[in-house]
Amino acid sequence: MPFDGRLVLEENLMATAAATPEVFTRKASGLVRVMSPYSAFIYNILTMGLIFPWTYLWAPGALPGGKLVWGILLATVFEIPIAFAYVWLSTALPRSGGDYVFQSRAFGGFWGFTLLMSGFVIWILQWVALSGWLLSYLGFAPLFLGLGATTGNAALSEIGVWFTGANGIIITSIVNAFLSMLLLVSGFKNYVKVQYVMFYGILVAFATTLIVLFTTPQAEFVTRLNEFAVRSGGVQNFYQAARDAVVGAGIDLNPPFSMLATLLVAPIAWTSLQWATYSAEQNGEIKEARSFKNQVFILVGSLIVTGILLALLAMAFERAGGTEFVYIAGAGYWSLIPEASISGFNLWPNILAVALTASPLVVLLIAFGYILNSFQIVNNCYIGVTRIMVAMSLDRLLPEWVSKVHERLHTPVNAHLVYFLASIPVIWAYNKVGGWIGLTLGVTFACGYVFAATSLAGAVLPFRAKEVYDASPGASYKVNGLAGLVLMVIGAAAFVWTTWEFAAVFAATPILLWLVRLLGLAAAAGVFYMFRGQLGGWVRGTAMPWVTALGTAGAGVGFAMVVAFLLAPQLGVLGNWDFSNLPSSLWSQIIAFGILILSAVWYFAAKAAQKRRGINVDYAFKEIPPE
Amino acid sequence: MPLFGKKPASKTTTVFFATDVHGSERTFRKFINAGKFYNAQVLVMGGDIIGKMAVPIIQEGPGRYRATLQGRTERFEGEEALQALRERIGTLGFYSQVLEEGEFHELAADPSRVEAMFHDLARERLESWVDLAETRLAGTGIKCYVTGGNDDYPDVLQALHRPNAEALVACEGKLIEIDGEHTMISMGFSGPTPWKTPREIPDEELGLKIEEMIAQVADPSRCVFNFHDPPVDSTLDTCPLLDWSTDPPTQIVKAGQVVLHGAGSKSVRKAIETHQPVLGLHGHIHESPGATRIGRSLCVNPGSEYGEGVLRGVLLNLAGGKVESYQLTSG
Repeated sequence: MPFDGRLVLEENLMATAAATPEVFTRKASGLVRVMSPYSAFIYNILTMGLIFPWTYLWAPGALPGGKLVWGILLATVFEIPIAFAYVWLSTALPRSGGDYVFQSRAFGGFWGFTLLMSGFVIWILQWVALSGWLLSYLGFAPLFLGLGATTGNAALSEIGVWFTGANGIIITSIVNAFLSMLLLVSGFKNYVKVQYVMFYGILVAFATTLIVLFTTPQAEFVTRLNEFAVRSGGVQNFYQAARDAVVGAGIDLNPPFSMLATLLVAPIAWTSLQWATYSAEQNGEIKEARSFKNQVFILVGSLIVTGILLALLAMAFERAGGTEFVYIAGAGYWSLIPEASISGFNLWPNILAVALTASPLVVLLIAFGYILNSFQIVNNCYIGVTRIMVAMSLDRLLPEWVSKVHERLHTPVNAHLVYFLASIPVIWAYNKVGGWIGLTLGVTFACGYVFAATSLAGAVLPFRAKEVYDASPGASYKVNGLAGLVLMVIGAAAFVWTTWEFAAVFAATPILLWLVRLLGLAAAAGVFYMFRGQLGGWVRGTAMPWVTALGTAGAGVGFAMVVAFLLAPQLGVLGNWDFSNLPSSLWSQIIAFGILILSAVWYFAAKAAQKRRGINVDYAFKEIPPE
Repeated sequence: MPLFGKKPASKTTTVFFATDVHGSERTFRKFINAGKFYNAQVLVMGGDIIGKMAVPIIQEGPGRYRATLQGRTERFEGEEALQALRERIGTLGFYSQVLEEGEFHELAADPSRVEAMFHDLARERLESWVDLAETRLAGTGIKCYVTGGNDDYPDVLQALHRPNAEALVACEGKLIEIDGEHTMISMGFSGPTPWKTPREIPDEELGLKIEEMIAQVADPSRCVFNFHDPPVDSTLDTCPLLDWSTDPPTQIVKAGQVVLHGAGSKSVRKAIETHQPVLGLHGHIHESPGATRIGRSLCVNPGSEYGEGVLRGVLLNLAGGKVESYQLTSG
């Protein structure tokens, strides 16, 4: 009797049987799953984090002349082929542990484990720390600071300031992670209930922020901001003082448009938008996960909605204070000009909205939304990563006890507990170790290579797992081979161009410069080599699976953004290659590649240990030939 | 204790267990090949082997056909396309029958004929599987034990009982000697389900049947309990709670959320707790794969993904009345 959550295909077929007369079914058991497609859609929107603030200050600070709105929309467009590749993969392999399952199927256990262990399991610990920081710094602190300012209560303002200090953030972060662990081990259904509260709370906060930013009369902007600064313990005439300091630092408040800078806004916006596909980690719990239409709604739909919302926020932010203000706020963050922040707060969009309103109710609505989204982010970390850890444990690459499911709670309690304990030192380091916070967007780099590699896994799925692909509902979608090749070449060109362009920024010597460029070319050629048996036919117009065209294009732009994070200094610490004082001058790069190497070593060590027990780990990934 | 467990004993019997293939031609072929592929001496199929849907392929004219699959009606021409579709349908675990337009409408109007057609198609496929097992396992020394599940028609399961079969053994209700030191008993019936499937009985009755079989076992601690229904609340039986009063059954939702519960058998759990077998092999709940221990007994449910042509299974190394190691596979 299949109470089968896995075989949503069968759900569809059963439904079809009721709708059309041309199939016969017998009396047999059916199947059900827990999470509705709408819940998964919400989950992805929340995971993309409407509250992630970097784009709005980092981009104008680091990329003068870049257009925020365009950059966000570009990132949305870049992510679309990746999201579509996930649609095909999710309908073909609707299992929990998504990326790990997809990659290990397409590329084998080594790549699946190494990329997911490093990119997700280890790096997302940093995201746990980040969510605590967001909760404390962008949730509780503005709440109390805003209430203090609007009610004139100094004690509330002091509480707000406590939430901005290291100890306040560490305590808040650990409590945040602990509460999330308790919620999730109590049962996934409990989380889904809370998710609805979080979603609507966040939407209200987001809408409130937009309304405040869109409706504040521009003539009153400076006055209101100055008043808020005074009430929060800042200087008189804040705006002018900030402007003078920023101009004095040599920053142009009206730079000319730059296409390159606009393109580089996209990887920053991708920090949010790359998470459009995170629901794939729990495909095994999503109802009708094998339905193509549902997955398009969940993965592509959530991406487009979030992309539009983030672009709207960028428009509202720029509209409220004008372009000049955006550059002042950006300089406060990127160039660390203290005069351009209020009581240590950078002027993120939500802080600005709080500053521009005199209503405690508005402050409460905005702050609660950000608190809810921060809490939701830590839940996402646990939900996705623990499912991957369980899948790895079942494959015998992590210890057996990691996948043990609690009899009464029906949840992998050990996996949650291990992840909570592992997050504590990272939370501490995030707030106490100088420079650690700069690694935050290393997560975008690391998770970026996971997402891009999965996109490539989608491209090769029809050839590496032919039977699985042929049995999937997406198998019938084909594109003219030549048109598909054009898409593939566009993706490859994006990757090669990025490598080529930023190699010049990165490389200290001509040898290094050409080594990086040739590696980029070789990687792109390697992708086409994987399809060597089909290329001739495609050139002649033979049909190509859509997922191959979109997956390759998505992998191309995805890896282009990963390379940008690695080579472009405007995109954070990983892009700052300073060979002058090794190894301390390259500590962040050493950490990033060290994590990759550690994960690879773990794979071989676990495999050898299991071999001694009579277990061949490769069996977990190898398909038995049916003939 | 080492991070990944202890070393195995020197002499082991490797068992490969899979279940709930529901008529899938591709997964059963993989199952038969799994012995050689995984170096397993014993193959065990845990029940629910009959498919649940038949797709009529309607002949619209000479060499022209239409069929409804995965929600879409497809039209195609030629015998090659017909064969490809039939293979696709087989991979999904369904049966296919080529019918004239008129035949199809006559059949569709008569549920008893549809039922008879299912029996015929299921029997035909099962017989072909026995042939396949006998051919492919001949001379390998690999034994293949197959039991039915609650979803399987009793009369169709008779196809498993072939007098001259050497490799494939219909093991339900029998005490099987797996090797020199381990035995196995099998039970394909389940407790009641909301779908009222062919081989479900009250849980108390299931318990009595199980105890009758255990009474034949000299040393339960060295016996494998191959029971289709998993033990209740064991983490191998987690699925949404369903409303039995609707047809088909619907999920019970509280506060907007689906309620999960353990849908396994109390009798199976009681038998395992009381007799502490070396191993429990279970299926039935596809979405709840995993392994757990009840006392000293390791209990496993590999889950099922037959519709994708994926064979989920468990490899187990048995030695000295213990499970030395095990591994879930997805082949």
